Amino acid sequence: MKTAMDEKKEYRGSIHQRQKDLMLAWYDQLDQAANSGNPPTVSMMISGNCVELLEGFGAVPLYPEVNALQLAIRHQSLDPILAAEDLGYAADNCAYVKADIGCILKGITPTGAKLPTPTLILCNFVGCNTYLKWFEHLAKLQQAPLYVIDVPFMRADEPSRSDIEYVVKQLQETVKKLEQLSGRKFDYDRFRQAVARSSRTEELWSQIKHLARRSPSPFDAYFDAITLMGPLYVYRARPEGVEFFEAALAELQAKADAHKGVYEQEHFRLVMEGPPPYPYFRAFRDMFAKWQACAVASTYSTVGGLWEFGFRHDPDHPFESVAMHMIAQNVTNRNFLQRYEQIRRYVEEWNADGVIIHFVKSCRLFSAGQGDMRDYFTKQLGIPTLYIESDLEDPRYFAEAQTKNRIDAFFEAMEYSKATASVRSYREGSA
Amino acid sequence: MFSELFERTFDNCSALHFPSVREWKLADPGRKVIAYFPVYAPVELIHAAGMLPVGLSGAGDRLDIQHADARFGSFICSIVKTTLEMGLAGHLEPFDGFLFSTICDSARNLCFVMKRNFPQMYVDFLHLPHNPSSPAAAQFLAEEYRRILTELERLGGEVDDGALHRSIALYNGNRALIRELYQLRSRSPQQVPTSELYQLIRLGNFLPVEQHTALLEATLAEFQSRNTKPRDSIRIVVEGSFCEQPPLTLIRLVEDAGCYIVDDDFVIGQSWFESDVPTEGDPLLTLAKSYLDRSVYSSVRHDFRKPRWDGLVDKVRRNQAGAVLFLIAKFCEPAYFDYVPYKQELDRAGIPHLQLEFEEKSFTFDRLRTEIETFVESLVFD
Amino acid sequence: MRIAAGVDVGSTQTKAVIMSDNGGVKIAARALVDTGANVQRAAERAFDACCQEAGVHSGDVGFVVGTGYGRYKIAFGNVQMTEITCHAKGASFLCPGIRTVIDMGGQDSKAISVGPNGEVVDFVMNDKCAAGTGRFLENSAEVMGISLDEVGPLSLKAQHPVKIATVCTVFVESDILSYLAQGKTGEDILGGVHIAIAKRTLSLARRLTIEPEIAMTGGVARNVGMVRALEAVIGRKMLVSPDAQFIGAVGAALFALEKLDQSFESSIWRGEHAAPGGH
Repeated sequence: MKTAMDEKKEYRGSIHQRQKDLMLAWYDQLDQAANSGNPPTVSMMISGNCVELLEGFGAVPLYPEVNALQLAIRHQSLDPILAAEDLGYAADNCAYVKADIGCILKGITPTGAKLPTPTLILCNFVGCNTYLKWFEHLAKLQQAPLYVIDVPFMRADEPSRSDIEYVVKQLQETVKKLEQLSGRKFDYDRFRQAVARSSRTEELWSQIKHLARRSPSPFDAYFDAITLMGPLYVYRARPEGVEFFEAALAELQAKADAHKGVYEQEHFRLVMEGPPPYPYFRAFRDMFAKWQACAVASTYSTVGGLWEFGFRHDPDHPFESVAMHMIAQNVTNRNFLQRYEQIRRYVEEWNADGVIIHFVKSCRLFSAGQGDMRDYFTKQLGIPTLYIESDLEDPRYFAEAQTKNRIDAFFEAMEYSKATASVRSYREGSA
Repeated sequence: MFSELFERTFDNCSALHFPSVREWKLADPGRKVIAYFPVYAPVELIHAAGMLPVGLSGAGDRLDIQHADARFGSFICSIVKTTLEMGLAGHLEPFDGFLFSTICDSARNLCFVMKRNFPQMYVDFLHLPHNPSSPAAAQFLAEEYRRILTELERLGGEVDDGALHRSIALYNGNRALIRELYQLRSRSPQQVPTSELYQLIRLGNFLPVEQHTALLEATLAEFQSRNTKPRDSIRIVVEGSFCEQPPLTLIRLVEDAGCYIVDDDFVIGQSWFESDVPTEGDPLLTLAKSYLDRSVYSSVRHDFRKPRWDGLVDKVRRNQAGAVLFLIAKFCEPAYFDYVPYKQELDRAGIPHLQLEFEEKSFTFDRLRTEIETFVESLVFD
Repeated sequence: MRIAAGVDVGSTQTKAVIMSDNGGVKIAARALVDTGANVQRAAERAFDACCQEAGVHSGDVGFVVGTGYGRYKIAFGNVQMTEITCHAKGASFLCPGIRTVIDMGGQDSKAISVGPNGEVVDFVMNDKCAAGTGRFLENSAEVMGISLDEVGPLSLKAQHPVKIATVCTVFVESDILSYLAQGKTGEDILGGVHIAIAKRTLSLARRLTIEPEIAMTGGVARNVGMVRALEAVIGRKMLVSPDAQFIGAVGAALFALEKLDQSFESSIWRGEHAAPGGH
């Protein structure tokens, strides 16, 4: 009997390789900047990043989060975490921060390429308080200048006029700061063009996300989306980014039109909440592949921006739309109840069978209160929900057998209810 | 006798059914009470709207968590869970509103979980600025205060500038007295035991400001009149990014182990401004500017113009303290983070320090006692 | 007559059950062995003992479903399923009408919302820490120098149960010693320990919608003190089957019987074989 274990479990097309090449090219640029001092580099957080602004200077983004996750995926995160703990960081501090700081302490980088001391450490504060502390520590450690863009939290349904004005003014202050630090003049036209390109990239990414509404979905909107996300925050505003997502959309569109899913048969459609356990990315995916369960939507893949509900950057209002994205259109600056709503929409409009909530010890922004989220989905909406727990970066917090057990029990139950439903309808049909 | 009075008052005010709050409401039905989660809240706005601001700091060891840990799992500080538990157990019934602010990720999520679970309550989130270097920040915060005030007016009635100025003046007076008490303690710690001062300050979370100010005045006089002989204790600063509060027993324990606590940040929200807030001009703007330029340093406030670790070293020197005791609530992420640069700067300045973890609901302290006593001994016999 | 078996390999004990379907489904035999170091051998021993007890040949058993922590190592098993699914099924059979199962095992504890056909509607697990499990009771018993069998009956005699602050099994030991030093009775201490575990378990179960009837399963269900403490905090009597320990194996055997019955096609049987290279 053929089992799911024999199935091809990974999406691999030509764009998977292209994605790798793009990310390596980016690390090359950073290596160059480390050696020559040019182009200027700016450290930023992925969520609510304003990479378009950097394009106005020809500056390259540095993403400490990407360093952290690259380390975890390559199974290199434990040593730097321990180094940070030796310095005094607690077991319960976010392991992303520890891994990144630990790397700097040990003088290592995920790819071996050199990383520059940034021209500016730009903390785009979008909800995550850990971001603030992380960048304060980096500024102290790397002796680099720090600027915090304080982005008002989404405490109402929509941002206020005051919220937008505040962020726009800070963006303009950032421009002045970067001019001083880089010695380069801000090129407003380049900035506008970058915003226009972002708008195009976002449209493509949104269409890709919407392909997952098909049955079967041509890609896994968690595992594959995470893999495809890199170019979204590094190259969103660049021609390479637009090309990449054009190619990705074409490839996935072709798969969708040929009714090709991720597995031979798409048995379950899921919405995934929370970051993945990066040190066990593959093993974690296998646990779902076994059941031919495909993610059709995920919240984590909207950390870099929420594009599937219609928002686009607007080159006619470049500063305002950048501010809008930073305030309202990324998952971290949206409030907890808005995340419930986001997941609910996915379940309904992407036609999912259930929700997987992955609690990660490091990240209180994602995880604090997920028990209440579970309560909302199971008790209030009656949607099958599974709660599992590990960490996104620290390899010591993953219990493989227990996690597999919970996942198996969840799908056994779902399979049973699907089977009995189909038997019922068969019997009713033949009665 | 004095400390008994405090404890009785304190226990009465902070009991789970909030008797002092209920009494206040009964005295004039129709009056409203707004709770706020630590650390800082613009209480003047609440007061000016004729409402009583009450600072909640969890339920200590008074409440068994039976429901809240289904909503907030492991690795989350106790105060978040006991606050929710109080709500789920019905103890927050006397409150008409709950104000949260940008202190940390767990507390922020708590705000919205409360919103979902208590839809009949006014629950709001105040975005306090984290970029005070921006000229735009004052305007932003003033408008944010305007937004909150509009909601408060819905509950309590219209508020004009005059009312706001009067409230600001009252709280200025209260804060000035707290500063005086802290200065007295620093000069003559034998006259001002922290276990007493702590309760006195925390009562400010429950009592109407007028009453609290009177109590502060009376107590200041009492403290000043004391003739206690100084002991040979070491002068320490307690730093803890306190949101979750330590059990009173722990504070006593620190003093009994041979320490004079000459400065602390236990209930720092009560004395948030280093000097008076002006009582002329646009009151919301003056409050906003005061937040940006007149606030003490804190783990929950980010101002990259002046690192808070410099603030700690200043505090130690200003109070002629010999050491720092970090008391960190278990799972308090901001405190864990700040500990690293604090520690580095204290090491550079040659200031000894000890780090201990506590939980609000602890009631056995053997381990902590041993650690503190060992630390004190190491300093005394240096 | 169809005969099928369920084997539940737990971390401490392995249980086997044979069920037959001859004018009504019933338990033909049950067996229990210590798991020990060799999981595979334990499964074989339990199964063989069970076949003997039932008076059948192992070859007569039409289908075997394996469950429990060692379920992947049962070489003679046809298919494996999680103990969560098997517990729900088994508890429904042994305690008809239940809608909630609270299982307290040696290593983990769980709560399951069960549907009318014994299917799992929802579940929550505590599989990362000893609080609320048999391990916690074992440690407490050891610290007090009492046998595990005595803790339950002793706890029922508590007059003034002590307050246990932590359910961390590491720290509770020092709390217990501290209380003993203070002269508190063993009964009062154990009373407190049982209440603390019961509250913790209820806290876990509350993540589900707890609907009556409620069944308690797992090794700890044999502890009468734990049953009473849990009933007291829930405020309702629970059903405890005399076969509480065998519930996982019963559920597995029922699934095995259903497979033989072939009365419905379920792709549930697409699942993994019990062991690599299994037939």
